[in-house]
Amino acid sequence: MTEGAGRMGEIPAAEPVDAMDGLATASELVDGNAVGHVDAQPVRAPRRRRSPFAPVRALGSGIAAVGVKELRGRMRGRRAFVILTLYLLFLAAFAWSWQLIAERRYGGDVLSGGSAAFASALIGQEIFGALLVVETLLVVFLAPAMTAGSISLEREKQTLDMLATTPIPSLAIVVGKLLSALTYVFILIIASLPLTAMVFVFGGVAPDEVARGYLVLFVTAIGLGSVGLFISALLQRTQAATVVTFFGVLGLTLGTLFVVLFWMTMAGIGPNQTRVTADDDGLLKGRPPQELLLFNPFATQYDVICGASDGYGGWCARLADLTKGAISVGIGGGAAGGSITTIDAGVGVGAAEPGKIVADVAPVQPFGIRRDTFWPRSVAAWLALSAVLILASVQLVSPTRRWRMPFSRRSA
Amino acid sequence: MSGIVRTSGLIKRYPGTLAVAGLDLDVGEGEIFGLVGPNGAGKTTTLRILATLLKPTAGEAEVAGINVRRNPDDARRVLGFMPDSFGVYDDMRVWEYLDFFARCYGIPAARRRQMIGDLLDLVDLGDKRDAYVQGLSRGMQQRLCLAHTLVHDPQVLLLDEPASGLDPRARVELRELLRELRSLGKTILISSHILPELEELCTSVAIVDHGTVLAQGRVADIEKRLRYGAVLRVRVIGDAEAIEAAHDFFAADPRVASAALLGDGQIELGFRGDDAASADLLARAVASGIRIASFARAASDLEELFLQVTSGGSGRPAEAVA
Repeated sequence: MTEGAGRMGEIPAAEPVDAMDGLATASELVDGNAVGHVDAQPVRAPRRRRSPFAPVRALGSGIAAVGVKELRGRMRGRRAFVILTLYLLFLAAFAWSWQLIAERRYGGDVLSGGSAAFASALIGQEIFGALLVVETLLVVFLAPAMTAGSISLEREKQTLDMLATTPIPSLAIVVGKLLSALTYVFILIIASLPLTAMVFVFGGVAPDEVARGYLVLFVTAIGLGSVGLFISALLQRTQAATVVTFFGVLGLTLGTLFVVLFWMTMAGIGPNQTRVTADDDGLLKGRPPQELLLFNPFATQYDVICGASDGYGGWCARLADLTKGAISVGIGGGAAGGSITTIDAGVGVGAAEPGKIVADVAPVQPFGIRRDTFWPRSVAAWLALSAVLILASVQLVSPTRRWRMPFSRRSA
Repeated sequence: MSGIVRTSGLIKRYPGTLAVAGLDLDVGEGEIFGLVGPNGAGKTTTLRILATLLKPTAGEAEVAGINVRRNPDDARRVLGFMPDSFGVYDDMRVWEYLDFFARCYGIPAARRRQMIGDLLDLVDLGDKRDAYVQGLSRGMQQRLCLAHTLVHDPQVLLLDEPASGLDPRARVELRELLRELRSLGKTILISSHILPELEELCTSVAIVDHGTVLAQGRVADIEKRLRYGAVLRVRVIGDAEAIEAAHDFFAADPRVASAALLGDGQIELGFRGDDAASADLLARAVASGIRIASFARAASDLEELFLQVTSGGSGRPAEAVA
């Protein structure tokens, strides 16, 4: 981020118009260059000597070129900073009101000593969870919206051709677009860090838990940003790309959650049920695979938030209640150490002998659960998906792409 | 002759259409080469192949000795491409626009600023340095877009329909600019369907239709070949009798195929002969006492040629010209 910050510093600095610039005439310039050219290439085919790092350097400077250009546009004027300020004010107000709610709930005039310290820790966890949920919401909406137009706008403005005839690698175009589009999201996330650090005043949340929550936020931004970027490269129109991206995000969040809920209801699994037996006469057998929720940023963040709680309460219970235990059981199942394979096998076969215990469903959070086993896999899955989507976008951006989508319009 | 831009047997096939069908081009260094043809003739496709934006189905294309199919990255460093519907970025200043493309070519920061100033002077936008790109007039945007193709000092410029959508004044400015670039040693390849533009501007032209070259050569050569069989328009001063006499004089010449009185002393002659023959005819007419106010070729030669070549079938006229 230090590099990004450096670039940020460079942008508002309007280049002073140097009167001396204009003195050299154009012919001098071109003559000078022409001489250089003759020296460099006595024959027509230029064969420059290349260092082994040349491709890497080309990629780096290409990303910088695209990034600087994009950021100049995005960060110009007051708008970006006004939005940042309003966002922080809103977040602070939200955190404060949540603190008041939590104090009402856990605190009281009669608390003293150890119980006061415990109440303070609970309040800290409450604020931590509230902030992470709101920020996840922000990332889920903002990151794909920022990237959904990035490639298609270049196509619509006919600038992609001009960009493609420069030696800049397609990977640099794609990565530069992604990073610059996400820079503002990153800034919003980072700017909230001091606010989140306020929870340390209350206690109950460890620094590594905050780090986990922010890692999930960043990875979610990259992942959903890549989704938007890929759809933008795939569909030629920004409007279509925005709509498809929006529904894609809805599918990943609400859609997956609904499928899990549906599955659990059909399989007859209750929120607090710890065992699944095969004689349940539901439509579906067994527990829904937690992979369904792997790309649901809220489920991932829930695992982090619950990891911070040391009791079944606060945000952990609230989210579980809200989803009728779907999230709790869905994720908790995977966290119930060692039984994953059994569960998956049970789900896959689905026709075990009646009455036989097919699988252990999660013990209810948090007692006896190995926590923090879901978010690392979700983060890894998001990063892998991002890599795939970026490479696919490069294929789509590259003018002489190796493979073509059967339904993409051919360029004239 | 081996030119700086060459294509041989270039073919680009789209599902259902053959956009370029075996196109051979040979553009000499330092020329302003016009690619003329009706819409859909394959001009843009050819330029996009040369600009490494499309892969040809078959055939070879070279720019400055570099095969654009095999070495697109090298080719991109020696060519500048301006698409026909050039785009400009919103929310960007003029100098930032050039700075961006200079960065794309990996030009070091120290040289960028100097170069941006020089390029803006070259395209006469020096005082618009801090203006926003979307606020420029179309002619200015065009010149700015042309400037962006020059940031890496390419040997070859590929300009797709550079004159389209420009008002006459902007066109004149563009023409001057292209002449200046030519004097700086650039080879310029222009596609257009606006013939008078190219006639004044280009040193060589290739007439393209249905994806093949129908005629190619220096403008002077093509014109010379064409002069055999041009239309002469003569205006004679005098009373009706004198005009009638002049008409009879011209009609009697063996090289005049037809002579028509247009009124107001104008006579249109279908003339079979080159410039020397027409000069000869003029001299004899003057010697015989006809008072001639003007004596000139009608219509634009290239336009005539263009219509001749592209209207009736594709195979026959190519042979006729070649």
